[in-house]
Amino acid sequence: MKKRSILTSLLAVTLGSVLVANAADAQEEGGGDLIIADMSDLVSLDPHGNNDVPSSNVRANIYDTLTILDENMEVQPHLAVEWEETDENTYSFTLRDDVVFHDGTEFNAEVVRANLLRVTDENFASQRAFLYEMITDIEVVDDYTVEITTEYPFAPLLSHLAHDAGGMLSLDVITEDYNQALEGTDYDYESYVEALVAGEEFDEDVVAAIGENIGEYAAQNPIGTGPFVLESRSPGDNTVLVRNDDYFDEPALLDSVTFKVVSETASRIAELEGGYSHVIGAVDPISRDRVENHDETYLDETESMSLSYVGFNVEAEYLDDPLVRQAISYAIDREAIIAGIYDGVGIEAIGPLAPAVFGYDENVEGITYDMDRAKELMAEAGYEDGFEISLWTNDNPQRVDTAVFMQESLAELNIDVSIEQVEWGAYLERTADGEHDMFILGWSVVTGDADYGMYPLFHSEQVGAPGNRSFIQNDELDELLEAGRQAIDPDERLEHYSAAQDLLVDLAPMVYIHHSNYLTGVRDEVQGFEINALGIYQLKDVSISAE
Amino acid sequence: MIRFITQRLIQLIPVLFGVTILVFGILHLTPGDPALIMAGESAPEATVNAIRRRLGLDNPLHIQYFDFLKNVLTLDFGTSIRDNIPVSDHISARFFITFELAVISTAFSIFAGLLVGIVSAVWKYSFWDVSLMVITLFGLSMPNFWLGLMLIQWFSINLGWFAPTGWGNPNQMVLPVIALGTAGAAIIARMTRSSMLDVIGQDYIRTARAKGVKERSVIFKHALKNALIPVVTVAGLQFGYFLSGSVLTESVFAINGLGRLIIDSIFARDFPVVQGTVLVLAVMFVTVNFLVDITYKFLNKRVDLN
Repeated sequence: MKKRSILTSLLAVTLGSVLVANAADAQEEGGGDLIIADMSDLVSLDPHGNNDVPSSNVRANIYDTLTILDENMEVQPHLAVEWEETDENTYSFTLRDDVVFHDGTEFNAEVVRANLLRVTDENFASQRAFLYEMITDIEVVDDYTVEITTEYPFAPLLSHLAHDAGGMLSLDVITEDYNQALEGTDYDYESYVEALVAGEEFDEDVVAAIGENIGEYAAQNPIGTGPFVLESRSPGDNTVLVRNDDYFDEPALLDSVTFKVVSETASRIAELEGGYSHVIGAVDPISRDRVENHDETYLDETESMSLSYVGFNVEAEYLDDPLVRQAISYAIDREAIIAGIYDGVGIEAIGPLAPAVFGYDENVEGITYDMDRAKELMAEAGYEDGFEISLWTNDNPQRVDTAVFMQESLAELNIDVSIEQVEWGAYLERTADGEHDMFILGWSVVTGDADYGMYPLFHSEQVGAPGNRSFIQNDELDELLEAGRQAIDPDERLEHYSAAQDLLVDLAPMVYIHHSNYLTGVRDEVQGFEINALGIYQLKDVSISAE
Repeated sequence: MIRFITQRLIQLIPVLFGVTILVFGILHLTPGDPALIMAGESAPEATVNAIRRRLGLDNPLHIQYFDFLKNVLTLDFGTSIRDNIPVSDHISARFFITFELAVISTAFSIFAGLLVGIVSAVWKYSFWDVSLMVITLFGLSMPNFWLGLMLIQWFSINLGWFAPTGWGNPNQMVLPVIALGTAGAAIIARMTRSSMLDVIGQDYIRTARAKGVKERSVIFKHALKNALIPVVTVAGLQFGYFLSGSVLTESVFAINGLGRLIIDSIFARDFPVVQGTVLVLAVMFVTVNFLVDITYKFLNKRVDLN
């Protein structure tokens, strides 16, 4: 306990306050009890449920995936010990035979099949189905061998399986979850899966029953194989995990991990400085120095795989001319944006992919700030006198500042930019409908693979809500992106993606602004803490040293 | 009295009916598609459509409204479209916290407000009166989230007296109550002062003093009781204000109450949760006003409730 003056102790007593021991001080033997304060609460502990980072952060500790990504975003074995391609559309996985779920049931090929069928079940309508929708068949060869067939040759499948949505949920839970949802219909889990695999049409009432009720049981019973087990959860407040001593690999060091919700940034910093939390997520750049310079805390800064960009609607007037898009790209000083608006957090983006993403080519010469070149291009396009155009942003303060910066920069090209701030939900909807000229948005490469970093943003089939809000449609680009996802040889894939990144410089469907960093505040006594490029806390090897 | 109560209860019906229409209308007319928000920037359209269908959001608006109304009449608020938890569970888990926060803050503001108000009125135009009135002016003008952040900075980080966040432990409750209750205390203090000064100038107070009633008795029995009516009105309104003010306070102090539930749900366009929570708060607000009206009767027999 901190030393307190007599006066303060007296006050505490008179107020009848029970002063709890500071969490960080209440250390005993062992790995300790880690407390993490984050901005938002998780939404679902179902691995096939919601697609938000707080949920993934907790689930990553409860569930294991067939493959995992190492720090270079290369695929490594995990629940699957090895795999081979039996033909160009099929992977055969050999699974570990010593893995047991938190409920004591065994992990095997049946489990893998049940999980992948569940996440891709159209009636479930999982938000994460898109990661696996190319899977057409999952065959159980024997207890520990499973074959996964995709609709087309799909090399990124291995990194998709490493995504947190590929977390393996206990078969008992899946069965019970379906059975509860299907209550009152003619189906039970087994007959339903049979019908699902056979591609039968379901009656309205079955679709409705699944749609309304699926996931309720699973969300309450998150049974995985991971290094931590759910201990308790109070929605909106906190979630507590304890160590799984029967973990198939080295068990975790920590005794427990508590994720608590503190939405206000200033309050989170108070938590950290006061020792009430060991780790706080989403430190705002303004508070960076404060966390860094504090006696008992440090700042963990990790490069992300996210991109912030200013998109052009290439179907809008003026912006349909690639010269104009290039000119605008040349007119933006990204370094100034990073220094001035993001307080120096993050790195300049020369293309859509962050350096950590598989497929990133460091030799691509992107467009960098050059106002003279911008003016030449505008003259070449015949718009020396400029034009009027609108720029949309949501209420994200950094995006708003970026919009103002753009407005001033483009004034030098005689482009008169009017800024329109749109509420988030409406923003997504209206940019998907193509009502915009220019807009500011981000993209996060959740699989660590170039396919996910480029295909949804630039392929002609993905225009609108799926991600291609620039409405760019280019045959050559389409071919490269398709070749990249189909080639099995990693080197060949890299070639396609390099070519695609080169092509995107000329097409200039967006101004690539910057790749952000994750800013995490950590107390000094926390050992071995890391956060990966997806923003997921790596907690297995963390411990807390006694002071 | 019973007639009055029944009348007021019947009046509740159109009020709450209006609330359902307003909340439903505002939520659904605001652009923003919950399915799209859930699916995020990165989801393909087929996924979004499937989610929309699953949530029943592809039905026409009036059908969605009548479904909602039908369920409310059977006290079924539906399930959250974000996490599938029944709305009633969401509300019941948090209702007591917000209620507690509002009650304690109201108690704090009444206690502090009366104390300051009486002191100021009894020693009017003194040094204390002037300083207290300046302080209350500050209290009134300070936004409660800012006050909350300042309290955390001073009393939690610098002095280490109180926990910065959470609710339940007395150590966690002091700062939020001060943050939320200060503005109310200031209003009540100023209200009490002016109302007391009014009453103290009345003839019957002079009479009481003239016949030798003790000063303490004059102040508390004769003056204060009659000065309380406007104060009760304000305190009742304060309680309602605290229910809504808790939205900000709960965010700053990471209190898991209804206020934060509403904010989170609005951002996620979690229609059933927002509708249910607002409805519950509306009922609470109306009930408190109703109780305030009854209190008048006890304070002053001359008030005719009918």
